[in-house]
Amino acid sequence: MSAEALTALWLSVRVAVVATAANAVIGIPLAYLLARRRFAGRGLLDLLVTLPLVLPPTVTGYYLIVLLGRRGWLGAPLYALTGWSVAFTWWAAVVAATVMAMPLIVRTARAAIESVNPAYEKAAFTLGRSEWRTALEVTLPLARKGLLAGLVLAFARALGEFGATLMLAGNIPGRTQTVPLAIYTAAQTGETGEALWLVVMLTALSGAVLVAANRLGGRAP
Amino acid sequence: MRPDRGRVVVNGRTLLDTAAGVDLPPQARRLGYVFQGYALFPHLSVADNLAFGLRGRPRTERQARVREVIARLGLGGLADRYPRELSGGQQQRVALGRALAPDPELVLLDEPLSALDAPLRRQLRDDLGAILSDWGKTAVLVTHDLAEAYQLASTVVVYDNGRAIQSAPRTELLWQPASEAVARVMGIRNILRGSVVKATADGIQFRWRGQLLEGANSPTRSYLPEPGSALAFYIRPEYVRLIRKDRGGPDAQHHTNLMSATVVREADAGTVWTLYLRLDEPGPPAQGDYDLEVEVPKLVYEILEIPRDRSWQISIHRGSIQVLPSA
Repeated sequence: MSAEALTALWLSVRVAVVATAANAVIGIPLAYLLARRRFAGRGLLDLLVTLPLVLPPTVTGYYLIVLLGRRGWLGAPLYALTGWSVAFTWWAAVVAATVMAMPLIVRTARAAIESVNPAYEKAAFTLGRSEWRTALEVTLPLARKGLLAGLVLAFARALGEFGATLMLAGNIPGRTQTVPLAIYTAAQTGETGEALWLVVMLTALSGAVLVAANRLGGRAP
Repeated sequence: MRPDRGRVVVNGRTLLDTAAGVDLPPQARRLGYVFQGYALFPHLSVADNLAFGLRGRPRTERQARVREVIARLGLGGLADRYPRELSGGQQQRVALGRALAPDPELVLLDEPLSALDAPLRRQLRDDLGAILSDWGKTAVLVTHDLAEAYQLASTVVVYDNGRAIQSAPRTELLWQPASEAVARVMGIRNILRGSVVKATADGIQFRWRGQLLEGANSPTRSYLPEPGSALAFYIRPEYVRLIRKDRGGPDAQHHTNLMSATVVREADAGTVWTLYLRLDEPGPPAQGDYDLEVEVPKLVYEILEIPRDRSWQISIHRGSIQVLPSA
């Protein structure tokens, strides 16, 4: 086991944790909006969030470059203003993992929120709660099993992200080389021992996450 | 669901006025609402459910109010339980308590008993009546069950296709439905049609199936239709008298609205029997293959030996024929 492999593992875990946190903050409110509100552009939003699930990751990664690259729609003004670009940094791996995992949290959380009986929300309204407070105190707690399941899926997906990360963040050892990229590199360069070790580690980690999620999910009422 | 038009005013406060563009959101209405199936928050304890509508009040006041509601509703010892750990009766009381705790101006109950099976339903109905009268809070209850409405309410409003067709004290509604439509919504049987012969403030004579019948007029709103006009009336199945043959013939003093009829069908409803009688008159019967539905207690059915004897003289007291004003 090399130091580079350990670095890749540690990087993967950090990227997945931050991407999952970002998904909790962005994905759960999105899921709530899609589940409970009717607004113009709802179908388009749903489509945009879901697309990374069906597009090849390289296509999603390409879009991210177009959007966030040094000459991208958002990336160019940002670079002009700050001299910094997200591309080929650690943050690029986070962005790629977040976008790729978002369909999983949004779809799972949305289904969980839709399955909450609206009578509970109406009851909260008649007892004086605003929609915002009702979501926090009633809807989301009642959907927590589905939210948790969605977050776990998103974490596992972020941990295994490859294509979009390669496009936006590159494959820079110690900076953007996550475990899947390290495995690819090791296999390409004939370091089969290193590749095998990383494969086993990633499988064990992902498996442990799923087991933990099942335990947690099973205990929640 | 948004109302098309109308006004809702509670204690002088306008909650809805479509003409003036007023439509208060549920949070601002200050109405208690008991949902069908109760909608108790499954992730909160009884105490937290009861305290839910008290947000924004000082902690000590909240706790005192929850204790008071628990005591008044007989929920002692259940404060830390979750809704799924409660019996149906306890759930109903928590739902009522949750709606009543913030001291709303009015409580709305949306078919609170409709999801229950018969024995529990009866028990909870009595419970509900006791709590509502003890609390002295005005309540509006929606139900499809007339018996439930009659037992729990002092005033009953009958709706048909979204329109209020009668609003009356419960006894008036039961004994003097305002129209044929009300009688049908209430599930009254033997609603029949005849033609007026003579109407006075005291009684109405009319012709039906070749018979001249007389019914009492309504004491509160005497109804004076023109002779020859159509008239709707009903005869409650339990108010038709079968005349015993072993006690001499019918007696004009006691037996008014006398008719002869034959039992064409019967149905065993347990403690009562329903007989379907056809008058011994030419012409098609009024209700398919029969003219009158008659209910007799099982005991009477046996004493009169109805299975053996199918031909009867019947009489109906003039006060048991209810005349229905045309709408």
